[in-house]
Amino acid sequence: MADKRPREEASLRGIGRRRLMGASALGAAGWVAAGSGWLLAPKEAHAADPIKMGIATDITGAIAPSGNADWQVAQFTVERINKGGGILGRQIELYLADTASDPKIAVGNVRKLIQEHKVNVVLGGITSAMRQAIKDPIVNRGRTLYIYPQLYEGQECTKYLYCTGPTPAQQCNKLIPYLIKTLGKKRFALPSANYVWPQLLNKYARKLIQENGAEVVFEEYYPLDQAEYSATIGKIRDGKVDCVFNTIIPPGLQPFMKQLYESGFQKRGGALACVYFDENLLNFLPAEEMDGLYSCLDYFQAVDDPFSKQLRADYDKRFPGTKYLFTAGSASTGIYRGIKLYEVAVKATNGDLKREVVSAAYDKAKIDEGPGGGAEVVPGHMHCKMNMYIAQCKVEAGKPRYDIISSDKMVDPKEC
Amino acid sequence: MRLGAVTMGDEVKLAFDLLAFISVMVLIVLGLGIIASMMGIFNFAHGEFVLLGAYTVYIFQSSGWSGWAGILAAPVVLAVVGLVLERLVIRRFYAAPIIAMLGTYAIGLIIRESVRALLGGQYESIDEPLSGVFTLLGFNFSVWRCVIVLTTICIIAATWLFLSRTSLGLQVRGALENPNLARACGISTSKLYSMTFAFGAALAGLAGALIVPLYQLSADIGTRFLVQAFLSVMLGGVGTFEGPVLGAAAVGGMAAGLPWIVIPVLADPLVFVIALAIVKLRPQGFITQGRL
Repeated sequence: MADKRPREEASLRGIGRRRLMGASALGAAGWVAAGSGWLLAPKEAHAADPIKMGIATDITGAIAPSGNADWQVAQFTVERINKGGGILGRQIELYLADTASDPKIAVGNVRKLIQEHKVNVVLGGITSAMRQAIKDPIVNRGRTLYIYPQLYEGQECTKYLYCTGPTPAQQCNKLIPYLIKTLGKKRFALPSANYVWPQLLNKYARKLIQENGAEVVFEEYYPLDQAEYSATIGKIRDGKVDCVFNTIIPPGLQPFMKQLYESGFQKRGGALACVYFDENLLNFLPAEEMDGLYSCLDYFQAVDDPFSKQLRADYDKRFPGTKYLFTAGSASTGIYRGIKLYEVAVKATNGDLKREVVSAAYDKAKIDEGPGGGAEVVPGHMHCKMNMYIAQCKVEAGKPRYDIISSDKMVDPKEC
Repeated sequence: MRLGAVTMGDEVKLAFDLLAFISVMVLIVLGLGIIASMMGIFNFAHGEFVLLGAYTVYIFQSSGWSGWAGILAAPVVLAVVGLVLERLVIRRFYAAPIIAMLGTYAIGLIIRESVRALLGGQYESIDEPLSGVFTLLGFNFSVWRCVIVLTTICIIAATWLFLSRTSLGLQVRGALENPNLARACGISTSKLYSMTFAFGAALAGLAGALIVPLYQLSADIGTRFLVQAFLSVMLGGVGTFEGPVLGAAAVGGMAAGLPWIVIPVLADPLVFVIALAIVKLRPQGFITQGRL
């Protein structure tokens, strides 16, 4: 993947005007009714034109709470950039496409972003199924830069697709040794929802668990809406499991957490880790079921560097009393990072918005500050180094919160 | 095969878990079975009646009332909803059961999507009025699951006593056995059908209100159980009171028990395979018609 790109960039830079016209007309054939002249318009004429940014996220449907948080964070971030004079004097215009938690609906809406609004970049998608569905209309047919903001299972190495959320290596490399070496857990259970993220994350986690001298007692996949987990709880008890590494997601999550808690697993000293749990989940489940749970993400609200604290205060001021929090598990931090890295990249290209040129700059982009700290794209690897935090949920007077247990600077994503 | 490794203590726990899930299934199936048996209508909106029961509890909880108030209100609300729907829509379909299925499906769709819009597509947590666990003989038992088990037993007993021991119950059974003769004897079958439908809806509402703390309120909470509920009625046999209850017990027991033996994603399909095999061997269901 990485070795191919520089060559193509070089050939594109050296491309003649006539050849580029031919190439873009060919690429656009069949979907741009108005022709492809906009691609060739001289940059100078557009110097003060706005930069068009598309946000494709789940405003409605099952994961609407995360999608709405992403949309609010996108508005918040872009408003800050625009207030500071935009990118090289150009304002960012935001366009929203509702992906509706449904890939079938999403593809049509995302196409609109590209064909009607002709956005320069698209950020969004939360589930892996969504990313898989919209990446082709954006990257291949749409010839547009795509930034995917969510923590995910890794192995996405598509050209012009940058991932700004944490990877399995970033989420597991410290957490699993911590569970084994520091907490002394030896017998793991991996109960999971039956789809791609848990499957690939578990594959990575299993390797780490075994390398660190512990064992996986069982790894099981359930229908996403499973309502009854007594067999699972029985296996956890029979197998003398002392650490549950959970990747069950809602709606199957609540009955699982309830039955696990009721079985007394935590009271017997068992550790529970869920690496997608952020502040949104705190009010989603009863506090006692959350007590003692471990998570590992790129940001928690308990992170107390001055920039993260100010950012959170500003966001709360912009959306007072909002129920859509600025958190890591819902891809909001990835959205912030993705937009700010894009700003850096466009500044580096001196305002050239051509996909190949921006992408080359994005590949080396770096921001010093962000939620949880700065981030930098690992050149040639399409993913970001970022700070990672292991946190534990603590309940005080019935109120749950995360306490940071350890942090690591600029953890490598180890992808592509 | 894992069952071999289970010790005596685990058997107690396993039995309780099975019983708790069977109770959930029976609660949901009861209303569906009564409407199907007494009226010959397969109510495809049953899952949404369960949803409305759960939603009633949510409304009460979010306006600051206790969970108990919501649980008591849910069957009343659903009885009214059932009565209105029967008067306006369902009674026009008695002669055409297939169209009745489509009609109730449409009603269900309207309810489900309306609730989805009201919830904004979100999942909502409902607290149990009695939460936590109690320890008996060294085993942990969930308090709320015990409440569900006990309530289910009470409801089965009360419904059975009502149908078999009261004069109104006799009229209901008479109308089921031979509607024409019942009418000739001066029994208003249309009034009975209204009441039966309202009663079935009320049971669905109570089921929704009781089970929602175990799960999460979302627009799809009813659909998750609906197909298994129909399977239960089919397995148990239409036309009796005990049939659907036994069917629900069998389906619930298999759904909770099979993941012990096979991988969980296979358990759901296997429930259907086994149930359909039984239905093939015993097409009339566990209990044959007209026994009540």
